[in-house]
Amino acid sequence: MAEISFRQVLNDTLREEMQRDENVFLMGEEIGNFEGSYKITAGLLKEFGSKRVVDTPIAENGFVGMAVGAAMLGLRPVVEIMTFNFIALAIDEILNHAAKIYYMFGGQTPVPMVIRTPGGGGQQLSATHSQNLEAWFAHIPGLQVVAPSTPGDARGLLRTAIRNNNPVLFLEHLALYNAKGEVPEGDYTIPFGQAKVTKEGKDLTVISYSRKAAIAYEVASRFERENKLSVEVVDIRSLRPLDRETLVNSVKKTGRAIIFEEDWRSYGVGAEIVATLQEDAFDYLDAPIKRVASVEVPLPYSKPLELAALTGAQELEDAINDLAPRRRRR
Amino acid sequence: MAEVNMPRLSDTMQEGTITRWLKHVGDEVKRGDVLAEVETDKANMEVEAYDSGILEQLVVQEGETVPIGQVIAIIGSGAGTHKEGQHEVPVTRRSGQTPPVAPASHESPAVKQPSVFAGISTQQNGVGANRIFIKASPLARRMAEEHGIDLLQVKGTGPGGRIVRDDIEDFIEQRAISPTAAAQPQPEQYVRVAPASVPEVSMADAEVVTLTSMQKTIARRLTESKQTVPHFYIGNEIDMTEALKLRQDLNVALTEEGIKISVNDLIVKACALALEKFPEVNGSYKDGQFVLHKKIHIGIAVDVPSGLVVPVIRDANTKGLRTIAREAKVLGAKAQTGKLTPTELDGGTFSISNLGMMDVTDFVAVINPPQAAILAVAATRKTFVPIDDQPVIRDIMHVTLSSDHRILYGATVARFLKEVKRLLQNPFLLLV
Repeated sequence: MAEISFRQVLNDTLREEMQRDENVFLMGEEIGNFEGSYKITAGLLKEFGSKRVVDTPIAENGFVGMAVGAAMLGLRPVVEIMTFNFIALAIDEILNHAAKIYYMFGGQTPVPMVIRTPGGGGQQLSATHSQNLEAWFAHIPGLQVVAPSTPGDARGLLRTAIRNNNPVLFLEHLALYNAKGEVPEGDYTIPFGQAKVTKEGKDLTVISYSRKAAIAYEVASRFERENKLSVEVVDIRSLRPLDRETLVNSVKKTGRAIIFEEDWRSYGVGAEIVATLQEDAFDYLDAPIKRVASVEVPLPYSKPLELAALTGAQELEDAINDLAPRRRRR
Repeated sequence: MAEVNMPRLSDTMQEGTITRWLKHVGDEVKRGDVLAEVETDKANMEVEAYDSGILEQLVVQEGETVPIGQVIAIIGSGAGTHKEGQHEVPVTRRSGQTPPVAPASHESPAVKQPSVFAGISTQQNGVGANRIFIKASPLARRMAEEHGIDLLQVKGTGPGGRIVRDDIEDFIEQRAISPTAAAQPQPEQYVRVAPASVPEVSMADAEVVTLTSMQKTIARRLTESKQTVPHFYIGNEIDMTEALKLRQDLNVALTEEGIKISVNDLIVKACALALEKFPEVNGSYKDGQFVLHKKIHIGIAVDVPSGLVVPVIRDANTKGLRTIAREAKVLGAKAQTGKLTPTELDGGTFSISNLGMMDVTDFVAVINPPQAAILAVAATRKTFVPIDDQPVIRDIMHVTLSSDHRILYGATVARFLKEVKRLLQNPFLLLV
């Protein structure tokens, strides 16, 4: 299998989907002539022309609304919101239109659209450009929300997102764009609502998604190499629908769990997962479930302060050591 | 503010008498401090504090007897310190004691218990749903229930003394360790059974070895077994000539499969089949009742560097020799590397201790409670026996069955041993 970067995989997949289905088209700020702020759409304007790669004004409310209309009329728009933080301007279109129209109008027309957007902190982009707002969207019935952590998953999930007839929020992470990983050949898709056990373990379970799932995998691998603890890592991949079964089965096996998330702790994705686990795995829990999340402040610009506020490998490692059972499981 | 309750210190305890308070009102107490000595139906035991703070009130005085779960003292911040004798918490005392001065409007203390309970209740003595608070994880509670463990007997090592899976697994492992007298020399001199009657051990010219927790458990359980279970012993001699011949033939035939059947495997199978016929021997004595186990799980005492473990071959009566041999080999290897799981150690209904390979002529073993019997197997020796009044050399094995006289009697055990003998002397019966 080829090792390809996240950025390249997204670019390849968009191209392939546009070749595969002429109804697929792209919209967003600076995605055409400038080839995207993060170069995800590099070369696509040249290849497909300005009818299918549309540079929009800086008006998220407007162009997300246009995408909803286009999707209702049979096209398959893939919208880029330059960073997740700017999505606030388009929330009404997403919450009250994209997520509701199929339901409210008796199923007359689905809304097959995708919103791709990169989030996450760590780039010194400060408080208004480093946020993780996925919990807002995972809360909304009618939307689907996915957040891959590897290039291989990104390809399979983006294909599913584009071919799917529901509005999908496809979350990317700024710090993952250069990450490389093995990407299987062939036209595979990954169904939504399927978490992946990226590393099997016995002592405790770490549940995560996006960039933090990649870090969790690294930390668990290090623990294994150093023969410290056997840590199972579950990448939920799909926030809505959530694969309860895989999470619950993992915790039934280990009895202990940590949710590792980059969003803020209160009312975050971790809170939902903890609730799920106590509902379905109560009699298997051997310790309170831990949440390792970012500090509840607007993210500072200063590098030392940014590092202090964002959760990371060290925080996860500390939590694992704190939660680990006394007896090793074999 | 935390209430200290009369703990349930043994399976059969209904009530306890405070023989002595070791802490007094106003004393600072830490979690784990011994607060009082309590006399139960079995022994004098200590009551430890589960909370830290100031001892504010002694609700029950020395010499008084109260049911388990009853509040006996209050630990708090110190603000509510009461002088001894001022009873503000309603107390139910046995008749003959000073009657309580509880206001009529007070509910019975039995219904004013904390909201999280161990699944323990007593219906006797009108105590009703009197329960004791135990901090344990949901998983630990479920495991305790599955394995029939009283959480009161488990020491919690989790945060704040919470009982977690680790503690249940420790408990199961220790419970499964067999007290088999002769199989391992036990450092019994370090066990203070009855301090008054044991002469002081001289420490001069001696090395003092601290017992591992496994060894402590062996010591404790051996003592408990010998003190509480009335042992009696019945021996027999079994002619193993045919069994050894069968074993040799089987092993030649099984060479290619890599399976080797041991003498012990034959004995396991013979005992399992005999236990089907004599279910009493596969029983337990519990609280005045005989429990006859439907499953036959045979424990095999295995000598390990730090003591002794007894892994279990489950449903041995339904398993073929091939399976028994394979399982026994795996369990033995796991025992040596300390990798036995609690499941593999739990649930035995009968045990076998085999010292045949150690050239032992004869020995008796200590019963592994709650089992009712254990078979001690000595070496098989070439012996002249009279056959048709002529001396003939046969392979003779001496066995001794130790039995719990509360549930088993001489004639039953003798018949059981005779059946084991019949099976081993007609070893083809082990194959069908």
